Amino acid sequence: MTFRRVAVAATAMVLGLGLTACGGNLSQGGSADTGKGDIKLGMLTPLTGSSAAIGPHMKDGAQLAVDEINAKGGINGRQLSLTVSDEACDPKTAAAGAAKLVSDGVAISVGGYCSSATLPTLSIFNKANIPMIIPAANSADLVAQKLPNVFLLNGTGIQQAEAASKFVKAQGSSAVALLDDNTSYSTDITKRTDQNLRQLGVTVATHQSVTAGESDYSGAVNAVLGSHADLVYWTGYYQEGGLLIKQLKAAGYQGKIMVADGSVDEKLIQIAGQDNAQGVLATMTQTPQTIPGGQEWIKKYQDKFGTAPGSYSTQAYDAVRVAAEAIKSAGYTDGQAVMKALGQINGFSIFSGPLKFTPEHTLSEGGFDILVIRGSSFALNK
Amino acid sequence: MDHLIQLILDGLFVGSFYALVALGYSMVYGIIKLLNFAHGDIYMLGAFAGFTVLSVGAGALGGGFLALIVIMALAMVGTGAFGVVLERVAYRPLRNAPRLSVLITAVGASFALEYGIAVTFGPNPQVYPIGVSGGALGIAGARITYAQLAMMAIAVVLMVALDALVRKTRAGRAMRAISLDPKACLLMGVNVDRVISRTFFLGSALAGAAGVMAGAYYGKIDFLMGFVIGLKAFTAAVIGGIGNLRGAVLGAIVLGLLESFGVAFLGSQWRDVFAFGFLILFLTVRPTGLLGERVTERV
Repeated sequence: MTFRRVAVAATAMVLGLGLTACGGNLSQGGSADTGKGDIKLGMLTPLTGSSAAIGPHMKDGAQLAVDEINAKGGINGRQLSLTVSDEACDPKTAAAGAAKLVSDGVAISVGGYCSSATLPTLSIFNKANIPMIIPAANSADLVAQKLPNVFLLNGTGIQQAEAASKFVKAQGSSAVALLDDNTSYSTDITKRTDQNLRQLGVTVATHQSVTAGESDYSGAVNAVLGSHADLVYWTGYYQEGGLLIKQLKAAGYQGKIMVADGSVDEKLIQIAGQDNAQGVLATMTQTPQTIPGGQEWIKKYQDKFGTAPGSYSTQAYDAVRVAAEAIKSAGYTDGQAVMKALGQINGFSIFSGPLKFTPEHTLSEGGFDILVIRGSSFALNK
Repeated sequence: MDHLIQLILDGLFVGSFYALVALGYSMVYGIIKLLNFAHGDIYMLGAFAGFTVLSVGAGALGGGFLALIVIMALAMVGTGAFGVVLERVAYRPLRNAPRLSVLITAVGASFALEYGIAVTFGPNPQVYPIGVSGGALGIAGARITYAQLAMMAIAVVLMVALDALVRKTRAGRAMRAISLDPKACLLMGVNVDRVISRTFFLGSALAGAAGVMAGAYYGKIDFLMGFVIGLKAFTAAVIGGIGNLRGAVLGAIVLGLLESFGVAFLGSQWRDVFAFGFLILFLTVRPTGLLGERVTERV
């Protein structure tokens, strides 16, 4: 009989604990920050997979900001620490990584590169009451659910499409070909650019999608040539972008080529061949290379890590600074308070200009520049 | 329809890459009924083998077409040898194991190769130090570059050589015999293991050649480049009737043409929908593929 009673008691306890745990999660969100020790920042970034090259750039950018803030005494007397987990540009890996960061007790997420992989992590962090300052991923899908914890630090497809359309209009193009790679990030920009261009009265001659990871894009190239477009806008990533530029030129295409921010990488020029890439334009968020005072930052970065900053190093750096600023003004790390503080930030200086979030939690100022390829690198198009 | 010829040329060009890879799928399936999922990665390995040879010995080889042939030959020997090792390590011990186990070792080999290369060469794409370029030829309003013509010519030479080897030589006869009945061959004194090794060598060498060609022509290689082409080549092998070598080449050309016409008629968004939709329809009508033999149930 004793045994039975114990078993019943144990079951009741387990059930009771289970219920309390659930209740706790629902009411408080279960943010695991204890209020003591280091304030943990979590970052999901691709360390393996097709975009694995980006991870170290983002990690180092964030680490630079963490070290700077710690050197100045941290925030409210506490030091920052950065925990990095792999996103792999894959939704499943990213979701697992997000769950791991939540159980590690991070206070704020400062990661997110591939939009498709970042999407499933939004609700995971939201349930745990953890604010997300997303440095790179910028599909409009990310803010479509209007989750209170999601803030985008990179210009979105909306602003990029606007910048692209305005530039195309100013160039006096008569017919434009839009090319994307069927990912949510890429099609988002082509669709919006398509709408904007039509409003501005520029003809969109053709709209093609290619499959990422392939090598032969002769189908899309033929469609561009057949449409007699005088400007091609490619919104996918640099691997396919380089091949497209090369194959367009080989097929005798004479018009202008413009690429979106995912293709702004010096590898694009190497893959396309330096001769083919000359004069290729790009829409890109402002980088230290293109803003006044940026050279100092580049030098600081190089001294610390021994390599030049890459894509999204600055945005990751800014994400940490914005997170620190929000915690500082909120006074503590509670998710709700930090989210409120993020919404109230007005004029905090980041690389893309003074920061103020729109009600949709995107940047109010896009800060997109037009770059052009000169020699073996991208330069500001003046 | 002035670019009808252009579409056919593009389709044939892409098809010749698919064909070189599809042959390996079909040979291995024909002889040991194994879907060698690592085959697409052998293609990737060939591209990287060529890249390594080029990076190390670029000065000695010089540039140009002749250098490409030398590099291709070296890469073919390298990938062929790797194929033999792969079979010995991952497939031979499981030859009498359940079919699914071998399938999983093949998938395992595929991932091991992909990420092994990613660790060795880094995840970034590499740019081939030599490229084939040069003028283009106009045929009735269509364009084809000399580089494309050269690639297609190399592919055709390799395929004809393989066909002759399988149909005319003793070694080829042994391969065909094993694909009909491996047990009987063993009883008749054929060294089955050696013939299977040889099959893997040939199939892998062809994929390696395609890898070097892709590297030199497109200029960019990365560790995941074998995935999509592996799937496409497997599809081509099934369209042609898996196990049948001429069928694999025919299937590859059909797939190349389907893709090229799919893009022209429906736009590039619809290319794979068109090509694979057609494939489903075709297989429901002719499940054994274009040249596949009807499988008779023996009781």
